[in-house]
Formats: sequence, structure tokens, C-alpha cells
Amino acid sequence: MSSVIDGFAVVLEPANLLYCLVGVVIGMLIGVLPGLGPAATIAILLPVTFGLEPVTAVIMLAGIFYGAQYGGTITSVLLRLPGEASSVVTVFDGHALARQGRAGTALGIAAIGSFVGGTLSIVALTLVAPIVAGFALDFGPPEYTVLALLGIMLVSTISSGGRIRALTAAAIGLLLATVGRDDFTSAERFTFGNLSLADGIDFVPIAMGLFGLGEILYNLEERHRAVQAPTRVTNVWPSRADLRQSSGAIGRGSVIGFVLGILPGGGAVLSSMAAYALEKRRSKHPERFGQGAIEGVAAPETANNAAATSSFIPLLSLGIPANATMAVIFGALLIQGVTPGPQLVTEHPELFWGVVNSMYLGNVLLLIMSIPLLGVFVRILRVRAAVLAPITVLITLVGAYTVNNSVFDIGLVIGFGVLGYLMKKAGFDPGPMVLAFVLGSLLETSLRRSLLLFDGDLTGFLTRPISGVLAAAFLAVILLPLARALLHRRRPKPPLPDATERDAGAAGRDAGSGAAGREAGAAGRDVGSGAAGRDAGSGAAGREAGAAGRGADVGAAGSDAGASGRDADAAGRDVGAAGSDANAAGRDASAAGSEADAAGRDADAAGSGVADRRKAEPVSQSVRRDLHPEESE
Amino acid sequence: MKITLPAIGLAGLLVLAGCGGNLGSDGDSGSTAAYPERAVTLLIGQDAGGSTDLIGRALADPAGKDLGQAVTVQNRPGANGAVAAKELASAKPDGYTVMVFVGSLAYITPLAVPADQAVDVNDYEVITGISQDDFVLIANPQTGFKTVQDIVAAKRPIKFATTGVGTGSQLTQTLLFAQAGVDATAVPFNGGAPALTAVLGGQVDVAAVQLGEAKEQIEAGKAVPLVTFATQRPSYMPDTPTATEAGFNVPVQQSRAIVAPKGTPKEVVDRLRAAFQKGFADQAYKDFNTKRLLTANEVDGAALLQQWNGSLQTYRDLVAQHKIDLSAK
Repeated sequence: MSSVIDGFAVVLEPANLLYCLVGVVIGMLIGVLPGLGPAATIAILLPVTFGLEPVTAVIMLAGIFYGAQYGGTITSVLLRLPGEASSVVTVFDGHALARQGRAGTALGIAAIGSFVGGTLSIVALTLVAPIVAGFALDFGPPEYTVLALLGIMLVSTISSGGRIRALTAAAIGLLLATVGRDDFTSAERFTFGNLSLADGIDFVPIAMGLFGLGEILYNLEERHRAVQAPTRVTNVWPSRADLRQSSGAIGRGSVIGFVLGILPGGGAVLSSMAAYALEKRRSKHPERFGQGAIEGVAAPETANNAAATSSFIPLLSLGIPANATMAVIFGALLIQGVTPGPQLVTEHPELFWGVVNSMYLGNVLLLIMSIPLLGVFVRILRVRAAVLAPITVLITLVGAYTVNNSVFDIGLVIGFGVLGYLMKKAGFDPGPMVLAFVLGSLLETSLRRSLLLFDGDLTGFLTRPISGVLAAAFLAVILLPLARALLHRRRPKPPLPDATERDAGAAGRDAGSGAAGREAGAAGRDVGSGAAGRDAGSGAAGREAGAAGRGADVGAAGSDAGASGRDADAAGRDVGAAGSDANAAGRDASAAGSEADAAGRDADAAGSGVADRRKAEPVSQSVRRDLHPEESE
Repeated sequence: MKITLPAIGLAGLLVLAGCGGNLGSDGDSGSTAAYPERAVTLLIGQDAGGSTDLIGRALADPAGKDLGQAVTVQNRPGANGAVAAKELASAKPDGYTVMVFVGSLAYITPLAVPADQAVDVNDYEVITGISQDDFVLIANPQTGFKTVQDIVAAKRPIKFATTGVGTGSQLTQTLLFAQAGVDATAVPFNGGAPALTAVLGGQVDVAAVQLGEAKEQIEAGKAVPLVTFATQRPSYMPDTPTATEAGFNVPVQQSRAIVAPKGTPKEVVDRLRAAFQKGFADQAYKDFNTKRLLTANEVDGAALLQQWNGSLQTYRDLVAQHKIDLSAK
């Protein structure tokens, strides 16, 4: 307990206070600037942190992470352009509110939700992290092996680009992780005699290239899609009615965010989508969503901040980064000579509690700063990409050089930057690649260590309690979707036209009412998971639970599409598919389906700058397979 | 930077050479007075924050004060220092680039890696030895092991954690268990902290780590020291026998030295040695050594080369005698 209080003493040191503030402000700024996410920013700023004390560095980086979750809201609401992947769902109701002249209310409720979600999550983190760390000594090579495998699988399964692309990216990441000297035999692998590769490829240039340079290049293409920013935002303080309406959403969003943030592969993006889906599912008037429902802003914005906080738990207490941003912070700690892991809480309590407690303060700062700074952020939105991009590129390259004073690293950053750009163009999410790269060497060395410990007996993984449970979860993640697919093939054609007709009809109504393609997306998911005997809300929730190891039912790929506006196109087409299926029973549904399809495509065009139709294709294909099992045989 | 640094270095060399040529017999003192004219770079072949890095940084400050020029630390981690060593070998021998060389790279790594990847310390000018790190063999209390004889008497195969391939941690334990006739399997980890964690968590039976790394856990009773590989009992661990006392021949220490590229003028080497000796005398540096449980080994270049070359020969013989292959598994 005393170390918790000592942590506050660390936070209140002037330098730490300052860097907490700096981090939060930078985070909000980059959240505002579309495209350049927290992972990229943190990667770019890594060299800056090198000269700081470890605790100060992580306090700043953490501030960037949760600050960005709020900053992304601003562009979602004002420009209909998510500044941040975790704010994609905020676009639907946030921008609708803005069009009704209530942009201030939306931003106000998002700030309050962010504060509440973040703060509740820290309280939970304070209580949970030491317990996890207490188990940490039981985490040996076998546990790390399974955990690393689980993390890579989960992140690949729920990544935005579709499963095949994500697994391909992860495989490349694993391959890159094998470069360098073999830890067990000292033999050099894939170094081509190049001494710079003797210890493997450095993580920092990979992150800076893929996230930093790659994103900048990609965004230069995308930015022109933004709509003009309004010049003034008023009435930021929400009314009593708004608060009452949002309080439940904020509470539930906090819980969802906290839980999903801890899971490997989870984090802010996933939790904002899940929270939105849950609110819509619970609502007595789901049709209000997309028309400017205040809960539709409160829930995802609360959840993404809660998740940004709780995703520090696996990193700080086990040394496992749950998502790409955490992977970059992991790299930052390693540069500082601090290895995140079981010993961190006991050996560096000042770092652990300093970082945790700084988040209380950071959330207060976030709340205070967000409102007065709104005008500044709105003005920043008007800075031209032609000015911003070259500056960022320059900072990135100079930064890459200073980490190791290595020209070789600059080459790596450029190489990975081009790769990152091409990946985005082709609909590959670089996230799984980076995470697989980070977890790859952990996976390999832990596996080989485990085999030494078990004398080569693989059953050892199953007989140890923690690794056994994790292994079961892992097998469930892989086998359940397969088993379900097989079951569906065996069974005669399911009698789904009835349900499908209704759902597609609903989709048609929603779409016909001229709302954003989100509705179509949600309906598409209804159809997709309906075939699997699920509906939208419980589909998403079931998937989360699956990740937690209960159901491990990640297979409902269609649900991915539903929550996300940029996948609305695919969802729309899924509805179309469902519609044509229902066609056997009646033409109405088919018409509704194609109407939804059109609305979906509409939404895609209008929806988000991050949109990429090709990304969504595998999703729609898998849903279609669900609906038409006979087709794939 | 890559272009300008050598250029400045070349300019510096020309100045030095010019002094020597023009002033004739006064040349030696003249060039010594001219050196150093700018900051000296101290390469460190390990990650920032590790023990080698901390030692280098603790010395850089006071040495720089004596030189009247900053000694700037640059980390070039990789291959136990081989990356930095190769960079140093290609640097100008003008005294503006020096490096902290770890002993294991000179006398243990060559036993574990192919000959073309090994680094030979005799290819460098040694400025001074620094200090010595001793290893201690620790056990998880649940194993019940209190001495090496307990392990032998247990008559069961054991697993031991090492801090990596080609490290003193690997060599000490491999030699010890070979001599004790214990069936032992090495499980390599990356550095002292994870090896220590593996012992504390009971994933392995024992591990050899550096004294300073294990001190806290030993004092807390979470790790039992069985034997140290020091030449004499460390003062804070009076009850733990050395390997020699326990009847084994395992003379392994980690050791560090400051080296310069081959061909660095003698007077520059002497000037640097004088500066680092000022650093050794610095109270803050002495406190640092005490705190990290380091033993001073501030010998001159010739003595250090004798120590290290001797160690390499000793280990080569011991490894051959016990038919050990450090690179396998």
C-alpha cells in the first residue's frame, strides 16, 4: 500500500507533472489529426524518451495513448472523419449531433465519459494488477509460449483487414523475428553476414516505418476526403437530460472497456465497437442510433479510454503487450533498460505505481483541457497536409537515426515505411505484423525453453494449470469456428429465410430511412450471426467472452463488419446476400437487401477516410459462406 | 554525422601528426598536450541500463573531467559487444573512439561461436582493466539444495538457467556440473533478470547469476546461494563457499576493460589511462562499485591481456577435458 502512495509522490515531481501534461496534449493533438494514431506517434517520439527517466518517459507515452482516445472524437464529431480507429463508431451519432448543432454536447459528453471510464479503469487496475503480478512468478516459459500464441491468434482474428490478410501479416512478423543470432546455439540466421542484423532487426525502426512513415504516406492520399471544419463549437456542457441519458452507457462502457482492454488482441478499437453495439442492443429505441443518440457517443468514448488504461495491465505485470500501441511502449521500456514482466511491480514499484497513478492526473487534465482547447484543435484541423507531412517525416527519420546513431536504421524505417504504405493500400493491417514480431521471439525462445524443461514432451503444456487453461482457450479459438463451419455443412440447408427476411426487411427500413450505412451494417451482422443462431449484441458480446476463454467463439466475423462504419459496405453487401437468399421466399426482402446494399455503399463513400472496401471482402465472404454453405462445397 | 565524424577525426589526426613532425623531439609532449581537442566517444556494446552500460557511464563523467573534454557514451548493442568491437576496429586510432570491452566476449564467446564470428581482444589496444563481476549459483528454496553436494546426492536430472549462450553463467554451471557428474540441462535466458525469475518461479532448479543481481533475493530468503565462483569469499556472503573450496575448478569471472583501436599512439593510450585512473579514484564511482558488488581490477593493458588470454586458454582446456560443447542446445 505504501508503494501506491509513493507512486503519487513520483507523479507529483515537477518533471513528471510536466510530461504528463505534454503527453496528454500531444495525444489529443494526434487524435485530432486523422490517420496518425497513437502507435505511430509513440513510435516517432521514442527517441525523445531516451533522454528521460524511465518513469517520466512512460508517463508521457501513456498520456499520449489515452489522450488520443479523446482527441479522435473531435474529428469524428466535427468532420465525420475518425481521427483515430477507436473513434470510428463515434462518427455515427457524433456527427449526426453536430449536424443538429449539438457538436458541443457530443464533445462534452465524450470528455466526461472519457474521464469516468479512464478513472474507473485505473481504480480497477490498481486493485487487479498486483494480483496478476502475484501470479506472475508462476508464469514460466510454457505459460509465455501459450500466451504469445494466443495473443497473435486473437489479434489476427479480430484485425480489421480480414483473417487471411491478418494471418499473412502475422506470419511475416514471425519471420522477421527470426532474423539475428539464435539464442540457443549462437548461430546467425538470415543476417546475410551483415553485422547490423546480427542481433535481429530492431523493433523501433519497424514500428516507426510501419506506423509512422507508412501512415503518413497513406494519409497524404486520404486526407482530401475530409469535410470542412466548422469554425465555432458552443454549448459544451451537456444538459441534465443528456447526462441522465448517458449515465448507463458510461457505466457499461467503463466495464466493457476495462475487460476488453486486458485481453491480448483487445484494446480501444474493439471495446468502442462492442460498447456501441451493446448500447444499441439494450436501447428501447434502437432506431435513434445513427440519428444523434447521445449514448452512441458516450458508450464508445468511455470504453476506449477505459481500455486504453487497462491494456497496461498485461504489459506491466506480465510483459505481454496486448496491442500494437502497447508493443511500442514495450519497446520504449526496453530501451530504458526496464524489462516489463513479473518482477516489475516488486523491482520498480516507483515506475509501476508512478505510471498507474499518473493516469488519475492525466484523466483530470484531459477533462480540464479538452474544453478550452477545442478552438485550437479546430484550427489545427485546417493545417494543410502538405505542411504537416514533410515535418513529420523529417522528425521520424532524424528520430530513427538518434536511437542507435545508425544510418542502417534510417534505411530500415524507409523500407518498412514503404511496406506499411503498400500494406494499407492492399488492405493489410500492420498491427498483427508488429505484434507478431514482438511476440515472435518470445514465442520461439519460450517454446524452446519449455521443450528443454519438459525434455521434449509436449503434454507438459497441458498439465501445468495456467498454461493448460490458456492452451484450452487457444484451441477453442481455433477449433470452434472450424467445428461450427463443419456442422453447418453437414446439416441440411437451415430454414433461415424467415428470420433473414425479417432482418433484411429491418435493414431495408433502416437504410430506406436514409440513415448512415451503420444501420445496414448492424443489420448485416444480424443476418450473418442470425444464421449462426445469434443476434447482433450477443454476437459481439459472445465474441468478447470467447476471447476471455469462455466461449472463444471468434468465428462470427460478420459482427466485425457490423459495428464498424468502414465495413458498412461489406455489411451492406452481406445484407444483399441475405436478401438474395430470402429471395427464394419473397422479393420484398431482396429489394430491401439491395436497398441496404446501396445505403451501405453510400455510407462507405461518405463514412470515413480510413475506409477501404477491399479490407472488408473476406468478412463478407465468410458471412456468405455461412449463409450459403452449399456454395463452398 | 557518419561523414563528418571521420572527417573531423582525420583533421585531428593531421594536427597530431603535424605536431610530431614539426617539433621533432618535443613532438611527444606536444601531441599529448594537444590531445584531446574534442569529445571522446565511449562505445558500449550492450543495451542501455545493463550493468556494462552503467559501469561505462559511471566512469565517463569523472574521466571526462580529467580530460577536459566530454566522454560521450554511445550504445551499440549486439552480439555480446561484437557489433561495437567491429565498429571500433574500423574507427580511426586517434583516441577519440574507445569502448568498454567485456571479458566474456574475449574468453568465453570464442568457445561458443564459429571462428569467423569470434572477436580477439589482442587486436585492440587495452587502455585499462575496470572491474570484475563474480557469479553465484542460486537455488529455489523448494529444491532443498543448500550445497553443491545436495545436488549430487539428489541423484536426479536437474535444469539450470543461464543468462545466455557464451556467457560466464553458462560456462560456470556447465563446468561445475560436468565436474560434479550431475545430469544437467541448460536452459538459456536473455540476461540475468529472466534467469533469476526462472529460479524464483521454480521453472528451473538453479541458475548462476552475477552477485549484484541476486543479492536482494538472497537477502530476502527467496534464493539460496550454494557456491560463488569468486576467487575469495565475497565479504557480504561470508558463509557461502567458493567453488575452489567446494572442490571444483571453475575459475570464471565477468570482467571489463577499456580498449582503443589497434595503432592508437602510446601517449594517447597513456593519457586515457591516466584519465580513467582519476575516474577510479572518484568517490561516487567507488560507491557505485560497492553497491553493485564489483571487485576492482584496474590493471594496465599488458596485465589485462595476460589475464584474459590466460582465461581463454584455461577455459579451452577445461571445455576440452570435460568434452563440453557450449554452442550445442
